[in-house]
Amino acid sequence: MHDHLGLVGLPHVRIENGGNTGGSALYGAFLAVKSGLFDCVGVYGWETMDNVTQSQGSEFIALASDTRYEALAGGIYPIYYAAMAYKFMKENNLTEEDFAMAAIKNRNYAADNEKSQFYRSDYNNPKSPYYKKTLTVEDVMESRLISYPLKRLDCCLMSRGGAFTLVTSEEWAKKHAAGNYVEIAGAGLSSCTIRAGDRIDYPGWNEKYGKGYPDMTEFAACRHSGEVAYDMAGIEYKNAAKEIDVAEVHDAFSSSETQIYKALHWCDKDNIQEFVREKRTFLDGDVPTNIGGGLMGYGHPVGATGIMSTLETMYHLNDTAPKKHLSSKTYVKDADTGLVNSHAGTGTSISNFILRRP
Amino acid sequence: MGDKRMHKIPGHNDIKWDDKNSDKFRGDIKETGIGFMGYDFDSATEQFKVFLHYDQLYYWKYGEVSKLGKGFVEGEFWGTQCPKCGDKFFPPRVNCWRLDCNLERSDWIKLSETGIVHTFTIAGWSGKSSLKRHPFVLAYVIVDGCNTSIANEIRNIEPWDPEFGMPVKVVWKPKAERQGTVTDWWFEPADGWKAGPMTPEKERMKKLCQPVIEWVQTMK
Repeated sequence: MHDHLGLVGLPHVRIENGGNTGGSALYGAFLAVKSGLFDCVGVYGWETMDNVTQSQGSEFIALASDTRYEALAGGIYPIYYAAMAYKFMKENNLTEEDFAMAAIKNRNYAADNEKSQFYRSDYNNPKSPYYKKTLTVEDVMESRLISYPLKRLDCCLMSRGGAFTLVTSEEWAKKHAAGNYVEIAGAGLSSCTIRAGDRIDYPGWNEKYGKGYPDMTEFAACRHSGEVAYDMAGIEYKNAAKEIDVAEVHDAFSSSETQIYKALHWCDKDNIQEFVREKRTFLDGDVPTNIGGGLMGYGHPVGATGIMSTLETMYHLNDTAPKKHLSSKTYVKDADTGLVNSHAGTGTSISNFILRRP
Repeated sequence: MGDKRMHKIPGHNDIKWDDKNSDKFRGDIKETGIGFMGYDFDSATEQFKVFLHYDQLYYWKYGEVSKLGKGFVEGEFWGTQCPKCGDKFFPPRVNCWRLDCNLERSDWIKLSETGIVHTFTIAGWSGKSSLKRHPFVLAYVIVDGCNTSIANEIRNIEPWDPEFGMPVKVVWKPKAERQGTVTDWWFEPADGWKAGPMTPEKERMKKLCQPVIEWVQTMK
């Protein structure tokens, strides 16, 4: 990439961190600029997943999981996630229909953006069963089983795509991008075990969050990196859903978006059901989430996704969403604080960022 | 021998591999390395693509957990346990995960071939190599009271019948078919376990499985 962009000679680092590649690269650029060593760092990611079939692609992606004890047993990510989601669903009094809320939300928002993959492959494709259709919970419930409780419409897309952003010093941004840049007010990155099965009694998490957390239901690395980002940005956890005006989170599955709501302190076990059913993450809710369509609607070109989520959040904070989406319907007006979440493995590496309108 | 927490790594010339089985399950797969297989051209858009095929026999070494692989071939279940804190691991960890134990080297312990289902799912879609097995149940099982759980298939059960907390037992492939990996065994319901009555949720799962069952039947 350096070569073909004419940037030979510049320092370069390759960051490969599964689904959290984009977030990890952004984090690396944030460190580089924050250190004072660089004032302008380019971050780019891409993926070309359509070079193979979906089942081959699923198997390739599974090679990023634990190949010794898990991938061999026939596991691929939707299966691991489904096993976690099913336990989460039961323990938090949720239903398949509750998970489906995120699935229809993100795809229906993507239908408003003709650049999104859902728009191109389904919404604007006369051969698709979802041609010009506003998706409903029933559509999700009737879609094909992937791994219980997940159906096809609960799962993200496989995509070809790329994304690019610049991380710069404030001085550089003021000089070259006045009126257009946003501030990274908080950044957190956390690791977790490679196997979800190792999270039922992990000593480090037990000590930090209580015995048995996160079990196989939650994402401790999301909670931890989120808390680090909130602390840096001066956001109290209990006020997070009120303070954040717009968010893009890693909806690889409708269930994982729902799990993320809880890990980020937007809701707890007692109110997660009403949080979902009252549509608090829809455009008119407290914390509009994945208005850009997310991984289920816009697409999930793995190496680019975290950067895509960052840009989609930025579009509201610098008021470019109407231009970028070619529509004002999927635009959160007057947003000052945004959250970006990037997520890898079964929750093995997760980053969170707080962006602010300067 | 220095730091007792270190892995033992035999010298290259000290390993004779006297029980060689590297070709045992190869079938008619031939290694060709990288090869160019053909091309497509689209004259309207002037797009050109080349097809490549790559295949390569490779290995991973179990190293310090070799006892696990050999145990699978022999039909034995080996885990590890920290002698300081007592935490039990399956799959095995070489060093304790508790920082207070200061990377204490764990001891090998033979585990009972029984477990409890921690969570599970019914897989209706998977990687290319597993498509024909659908629908199958993949469960995370806590084996013999370990502090971790391991994923594997539960067989000999209707996909909609597993339960959280159900007891399971380990069932082995015939010895000649074992490869020293987790695919040498699977879980089945423990003796005496009976599936509960059908519920609306199980009916829902069963309904979701039907198209998958029909789809698999159409595969060659």
